[in-house]
Amino acid sequence: MNRDKVIRVLMAKPGLDGHDRGAKVLTLGLRDEGMEVIYTGLRQTPEKIVQAAVQEDVDVVGLSCLSGAHNYLFPRVVDLLKEKGREDILVIGGGLIPDEDVPKLKGKGIGAIFTAGAAIHTIAEYIRQNVKN
Amino acid sequence: MLYNEEELERIEKARNEWEQGLLKRQLERFGMEKPSSETYTPLDLKDWDFLEKVGLPGQYPFTSLEYPTQLPDVPQAAGAMRFAAGAYAGYGTVEDTRDLWRAQGRRGANVAFDLPTQCGYDSDDPVARGEVGKVGIAVDTLRDFEVLYEFLDGVTTLDRSASNFTINAPCNIILAMYIAMAEKKGVDPANLRGTPQNDILKEFIARGTYIFPPEPSMRMVRDTITYGTKKLPLLNTISICGYHIREAGATAAQAMAFTFSDAIAYVQLGLDAGLDVDEFIRRFTFLGFSGSMDFFLEIARSRAARRIWARIMKERFKAKDPRSWVISGLGAATEGRYLCTTQRPLNNLTRGIIMGVASALSGGRGSGGVPYDEPLGLGHSYEGTQLSQDAARIMRYEAGLGEVIDPLAGSYYVESLTDQVEAETWEIMNKIESMGGAVEAIKSGWMQREVAKSAYHFQKEVESGERVVVGLNKFTGDDELEVSTSRLVPHPYDPKKREDAEERQLAVLAKVKKERDNQRVQSTLKALHKAAQDDSENLMPYFLDCVKAYATLGEMCNVLRDVFGEWEPVGAM
Repeated sequence: MNRDKVIRVLMAKPGLDGHDRGAKVLTLGLRDEGMEVIYTGLRQTPEKIVQAAVQEDVDVVGLSCLSGAHNYLFPRVVDLLKEKGREDILVIGGGLIPDEDVPKLKGKGIGAIFTAGAAIHTIAEYIRQNVKN
Repeated sequence: MLYNEEELERIEKARNEWEQGLLKRQLERFGMEKPSSETYTPLDLKDWDFLEKVGLPGQYPFTSLEYPTQLPDVPQAAGAMRFAAGAYAGYGTVEDTRDLWRAQGRRGANVAFDLPTQCGYDSDDPVARGEVGKVGIAVDTLRDFEVLYEFLDGVTTLDRSASNFTINAPCNIILAMYIAMAEKKGVDPANLRGTPQNDILKEFIARGTYIFPPEPSMRMVRDTITYGTKKLPLLNTISICGYHIREAGATAAQAMAFTFSDAIAYVQLGLDAGLDVDEFIRRFTFLGFSGSMDFFLEIARSRAARRIWARIMKERFKAKDPRSWVISGLGAATEGRYLCTTQRPLNNLTRGIIMGVASALSGGRGSGGVPYDEPLGLGHSYEGTQLSQDAARIMRYEAGLGEVIDPLAGSYYVESLTDQVEAETWEIMNKIESMGGAVEAIKSGWMQREVAKSAYHFQKEVESGERVVVGLNKFTGDDELEVSTSRLVPHPYDPKKREDAEERQLAVLAKVKKERDNQRVQSTLKALHKAAQDDSENLMPYFLDCVKAYATLGEMCNVLRDVFGEWEPVGAM
């Protein structure tokens, strides 16, 4: 990718989960890593997230969920992006995600899952290596 | 004063000599710039006054303990597989949780509601997709309450059982269901016992299940306080939570300052409604402050919390009854869940024990902490629960913690630290006061930003290695053994039931909606709509009418959304 281009990230909280410590910390952290980060705030539907991602022309959507609804919400965002012809947007996820769910989510188009203990620079590095254009 | 002038002079002289002599030589010998440990002496407590700072147990300012002596031992639950009083639980539909609680022989409810219920949506609302029955039970109508409480049938009666409801924005609707169910069972609501969480301010700061803007949200809390004081004398009206604010990232002093500022706003509601403070304050309870691995700070924090609350109640609100000065519920939720690691998760047991010992040394019962498998997924294993219960028992019965009240009182270090964390807390509280109080500090987004900043600061410390987390940012090399854990005893929640709960709940809800008297529902909702527009109305009786007509929680919340509007967070980042 063009090294001069600033990576744009949409940090999103899909569903009704209110645990946003991780999403907020990552928003601040990725900004310090030189990315432009927009945080959606709580309670976003997959539709609203995808609309914002397209409107803001982001390179990455970061989804955070600790309520156990990730198996529905994360793939739904990927599917809606596809419908809009924006499968170029990298989707990553995090939160309280049991190990056994990770391969399923990856199989449905989530690039990577980061759970408690993941370092900001690790996530930033993954994004830099995997943004698609 | 502990020491007279002459003695203090002698100590100061000795300390100076030590610093310039023995300590200096040692530092030079090891090439250290400053000591790697600190030393406290009576010089740090020059003006310390025992009765003013600590007092006897159960006496103002209650620093050592809320009561004159530890309360008698609470009979222990028979084991991890059974819950005498009831741990926080609930999943799937009310049928699933009812059956589980029956099998466990529970005598009380401590209800976890799913997120749609907490956020005021029915199970058939499109935004509820994927969330129904996940983090707790789905409650749409009174019917769900009636089915849930069948777990008590043949065990005990409602008036001999206590219920905890972790519910905030729609708290009064849930209370109305509880009252309506009691009436149908022939139980006088005046005999109902329990605690609804009802702490809406911390939802804006940390936990996120708000619905309405702060002002109408506070009106709902006022309604609980005024209705509860008159009609539900045995029921707590609110559980004010420092726990979630701390877990979201706040420091110890921030968590206390934000929580007590919230509490002040709630007390003011009762006063503004014309109640006498001594009349309603004893139905206020707190939910701990979480914890940290900063062992002595947590001990100081518990001691300071008792003292700060006592001063607020006695000096600010002029409560007359000494029992009104006592903080209740301080010892609950003293474990920091945010500190659990998924790496070598059994280490979470060690972390929990360290936090539990801190709690036991500052008047708590010594909890075993959160089960070690907390970060591995929703719900704890029976093994994790057993070990954390055992940890508390070992502290209590093998180590004898709790046999001496406030054993660190008078320690130069712990007393200094207690003063320090208290001063920091007052400073933040004064700042909030100058902003116009907790509601204003939330509306401007200030508290939320402060919490996020502290959370980020913590994370940066972890990532830079300045803050060591064993197995996460240090001691992670190839020569370490990555101890993992398996859940040998299956989790009590049936994953299949949790998975298909949504489908089953939707069928139940459709049936209730079809069979109820829909005209009656509409007329009760209409009455609610009208009453909601008049701020002086207490909405509790209207909720009761709606609930008895089997109006849904979502229908009632939609009426209120129409009148109150919805909260759109400002400047969250």
